[in-house]
Amino acid sequence: MTLTINVTLNEVARSLEVEPFDSLMAVLRREGMTSVRYGSDTGETGASAVLIDGRLVNTDCMLAAQADGHEIITLEWFNKVDLHPIQAAFVATGAMQSGYTTPAMILGTWAMLGSNPNPTEEEIRDMLSGILDRETAYVKPVEAVKRAAALMRGESTEPFGPLILPMMTDGKNPTPHDPSDPGPQVSEAIPRLIPSRDVPEMAVVGKPEIKVDAVKLVKGNPAFTDDFIERNQLVAKVLRSPHAHANIVEIDDAAAVALPGVHAVIHHKNIPRIKYASGGQSWPNPHPHDQVSFDTKVRHVGDRVAAVAADTLEIAEEAIRLIEVTYEVLPAVFDEREAMVPGAPVIHDEDDTLEIADASRNLVHHIGAERGDVDAALADADHVFEHTFRVHQVQQVPIENHISVAWLDSDERMVVRTATQVPFHTRRMLAPLIGMEIKDVRVIKPRIGGGFGAKQEMLIEDIVAHLAIVTRRPVKLELTREEEFVSSRTRHPQTITYTSGVSNDGELVAQNMKMIGNTGPYGTHAYTVQTVSGLRGLTSYNCANKRFDCDVVYTNIPVPGAYRGYGAPQAEFALEAHMEDIARSLELDPIEFKRKNWVKVGDELNIAPHLGEHAVVEGDLDEYPRVMSNGIEECVSQGMRAIEWHLQDDPEWVRPADRPNIRRGMGFAFCMHGTAIPFLDMGGCSIKINDDGSFNMLIGATDLGTGADTVIGQIAAEVLGVPLDDIKVYSSDTDVTPFDTGAYASSTTYISGTAAKLAAEKVRERLKERAAMLLDVKEPCSIELRDKRAWAPDGSSVSLEEIALDSLHVQDHEQIMGTASYVSPECPPPFAAQFVELEVDVETGEVTVVKMVMAVDCGVAINPITASGQVEGGLLQALGYGHCEEFAFDDDGRMLNASLGPYKIYRADEMPVIETYLVQTMEDSGPFGAKAVAEIPKDGVAPAIRNAILGATGVAINDLPFTPERVWAALENDRSQEQI
Amino acid sequence: MPSVLAYHRPETLDEASSLLSGPNSRAIGGGTVAVPESRGAKADGVELVDLQGLGLDGIEQSGNRLILGSMIRLGDLVSGGLMSHEPGGTTPGEMVPQLIRDLARRELPSTLRNQATLGGTVALGDSESILLAGLLVHGAQVHLHGQEPISLEQSLAECVGNRVVTAVSIELDDSATGGSATASTGRTPADIPIVAAIGRRVDDVVRMALTGLAPSPVLVDPSDPLRDLDPVGDFRGSPAYRRHLATTLCTRVLGELT
Repeated sequence: MTLTINVTLNEVARSLEVEPFDSLMAVLRREGMTSVRYGSDTGETGASAVLIDGRLVNTDCMLAAQADGHEIITLEWFNKVDLHPIQAAFVATGAMQSGYTTPAMILGTWAMLGSNPNPTEEEIRDMLSGILDRETAYVKPVEAVKRAAALMRGESTEPFGPLILPMMTDGKNPTPHDPSDPGPQVSEAIPRLIPSRDVPEMAVVGKPEIKVDAVKLVKGNPAFTDDFIERNQLVAKVLRSPHAHANIVEIDDAAAVALPGVHAVIHHKNIPRIKYASGGQSWPNPHPHDQVSFDTKVRHVGDRVAAVAADTLEIAEEAIRLIEVTYEVLPAVFDEREAMVPGAPVIHDEDDTLEIADASRNLVHHIGAERGDVDAALADADHVFEHTFRVHQVQQVPIENHISVAWLDSDERMVVRTATQVPFHTRRMLAPLIGMEIKDVRVIKPRIGGGFGAKQEMLIEDIVAHLAIVTRRPVKLELTREEEFVSSRTRHPQTITYTSGVSNDGELVAQNMKMIGNTGPYGTHAYTVQTVSGLRGLTSYNCANKRFDCDVVYTNIPVPGAYRGYGAPQAEFALEAHMEDIARSLELDPIEFKRKNWVKVGDELNIAPHLGEHAVVEGDLDEYPRVMSNGIEECVSQGMRAIEWHLQDDPEWVRPADRPNIRRGMGFAFCMHGTAIPFLDMGGCSIKINDDGSFNMLIGATDLGTGADTVIGQIAAEVLGVPLDDIKVYSSDTDVTPFDTGAYASSTTYISGTAAKLAAEKVRERLKERAAMLLDVKEPCSIELRDKRAWAPDGSSVSLEEIALDSLHVQDHEQIMGTASYVSPECPPPFAAQFVELEVDVETGEVTVVKMVMAVDCGVAINPITASGQVEGGLLQALGYGHCEEFAFDDDGRMLNASLGPYKIYRADEMPVIETYLVQTMEDSGPFGAKAVAEIPKDGVAPAIRNAILGATGVAINDLPFTPERVWAALENDRSQEQI
Repeated sequence: MPSVLAYHRPETLDEASSLLSGPNSRAIGGGTVAVPESRGAKADGVELVDLQGLGLDGIEQSGNRLILGSMIRLGDLVSGGLMSHEPGGTTPGEMVPQLIRDLARRELPSTLRNQATLGGTVALGDSESILLAGLLVHGAQVHLHGQEPISLEQSLAECVGNRVVTAVSIELDDSATGGSATASTGRTPADIPIVAAIGRRVDDVVRMALTGLAPSPVLVDPSDPLRDLDPVGDFRGSPAYRRHLATTLCTRVLGELT
């Protein structure tokens, strides 16, 4: 029964026809309020929040009918020509990355400041507590609200930028920690930048430029996949398996097909069986190709069974319920340690999946590499240590769930607009599944509301494409929050055992890393993630004898895949815990022990070439890659000062007298990551000049909110001598932009940035030629570009606009443009020092993280604001990994906590203090000296927490996460051991 | 079949009661739980009865008790931004005891807190609701349309079902009150506690309520908090761990109040 509701929407009286079941979010989006965004159906994320009668409330868990008679304000109400001061404050502070939940934050700010013009930080954080953000760690949003409050009080504000600090070291050697040096006392939101004397001053690079997409994000303009609606668009829904392991004996779709409003029902009976691997990786995708669009077997709870396209979501959901499926339920296995045991259920018993190492044992891959002779070195070592660690399953939790829309265009080519990190891989992988050629598939990536690796997959695009072909109409599929948990991608659980030999003087002489990786029911990313675990787990420290011995196994858990860090967080947790325990056993200072062994400038990365998709065998390599830049000593010094490392030596600090149940501790982790995959990751860029001397830049790189478009634009602007605003960036569309492997492996700034630099240099050369002609200069190479002009040595100049007009309209006509691509032979590692301060309640096991400090050497931070934002967001996710996030299952493999809350991610009102230090080094192989920064923040928090708990309590815990009962149980076990 | 068959907004309590007497009717306060559950409950459609038109968002003092309308939002409990529904009968929201304000703030994040209502919280009776635990130690009574008020304990034990909660009254703090204290354990500072102990001293007697130990928050004997309790575990805390927390946290609260 349709209802008519009367509301005031953005100060306009409106009568709206709604259904009783319509959420207010759905109705507002239908009315064009694209700033109101879907994150869940239960108000978990706050993405859908608007103001109703001045209150910030969620519209996803509210019926449209409830709004009858009320006043609604959405972000669209703010959108005039000029930005509102709150919007301006969010822009100025870089408070948004993907910007998916930024509208809700701005509305909340406006409501709060209306009654409280001078809020405390606690009040600001409380206001933000209902709006989840996986990207900023709330650091810069809090700063933005403070700034907005000041602006609205009529106060002036300083430009927002980094705090420049002097170096504490000579760049190579440690300096003693000075407890009397308090360090900088400024807002945590301000990144601390420690310039290197090796880095020249530049005009655009290294500056805190405003993000190129900032305005549309703070206005809530249409930007994301769901913001663009195709005419006659249908809605899809997927029927998912209730069983962890079962054969599909029969599917009866007759009732669903007959339901009015249903346009297609697809499943294994009517969709071709074409094998693929869903991981968005370079061609050829690593084996095994063990998936099909719809199979005769399900291998985890949430696996695909069938899909429906219907006029509305409600009809699609009803149709799903009408599909009758007969299952033969099979035994399941969930633990990687049990999956290879004889008698374990065989998960891939089909005969058309090739290159499974041993399907009968669920062994997907065995990965091995060795340098030197590990067994002999262990036998000869003065000391041998062995520790085993278990790391768990967590989820990326982008606030925007997976969403794709597919349609056949007027040329009957398949167009897919999708939230993906890998548009080009998706195009290549999708084409054969739908029986089309690559040239007839176009993939468009709009803005993405977070990805973190979950969207480095061809995850749902095949479903909407199949349905679009069957129905000949556009079809949209958007996952629910529960589906995002059980059917998208997660981090691989692993069991890791390190065995290390150490000499009497503290030198590592042998290191064996034995690992079992759990890839769930499908091998997507299985080989590469586990390989990266080996790479990261055996590269940080010098050691002549190293071995990686890894089994990757199938189980029936939801599918692991790529997750920011890509195997490194697991390995570095185990490694940094193992090294900490060795140091303590040998009564060595952990940092000194690690320092003695960690890689330094000039050291070989002696196992890296033997791991990966292009691994070489020992003897086939003339030279091993070496570390060419390393700012770790400066990172350690800055970090020790910031965390006040000396406090842990004070017994009164460790055991506060007024809180007898509390022990305080500090932990450290040495972090080393990679920058792109050498000889594999490739990016392209095309730049052309416009009549006014501005430039269009087309890149295939995918900005997930990381600021990639901004950073790559800065690189081009620096080369071309123009402000960033004169570079108009467009990414990425497989029909329009150059190829790019996509956003993963910490590659975008380094790879796509270098491609942009090369393309800009080609344009620059043409501009110089044309300028020389106009200025009558004989040697074009003597021309310089700066301030939007080309300058001759004699001081004469011509504007880029004049050059553009001349070349486009006057003489020797040409489109000045440049195209370039880049693949790197190198993988320069960023380094970081991760520090954590925490408290342990020794009676309950509750751990409270008080402060996190990360000092990172990412080469030259092209934009210190976006770079520090990457650190902050990465630390938030890493904190969740170490502290509170986990998948919980019942005995049948059903996830018990597939919603936010039960699956706990950090809110604004409970965050520890976060401080970011950007330690510059000059990495000559990177664009303007840049290395990666996106993933290294994921590596050190979990081990630093673990080591801090150890420092505080003397108890070593080797399983993640450090939830209260786990810590309490370990403390109890320790207490009982002491009694024994 | 649509998940929500009909939406009603009654204007009188009798009308509301009548609508809620239907077999598939369900009341909604803010709707933060009922709306998603109803929209997700696909098998049988429900008729939702929205109580926002009944004028149940007032507050008034009656002797030593504060009567809080059931449609008061938790966010208003926190901010003290409460107004009486009676003309000229404005009672400052500041009268809401500080313990209740603090617990209302901790109960939900900001956006949900701005929607969720006191009556809805009572009707749900969530085992982990620290606000309910706070109401218990404040001697809360639940006012149901057409009935005499019943204790919150009784309400939680019986479940209010489709009866209309009109108000919740609590004891005000006065000279007999010797303060209140809380202790809890969660995965993170703002996590819903695995177990929480909420204590309030009145006339030298400590009232203690626990969450996470029973199907709904319970008043316990501070000297023997586990008596008659048989907690069910989940992935956040086993039964044994919950019992340990109950004892530990009660001891802390008692320590603060004595």
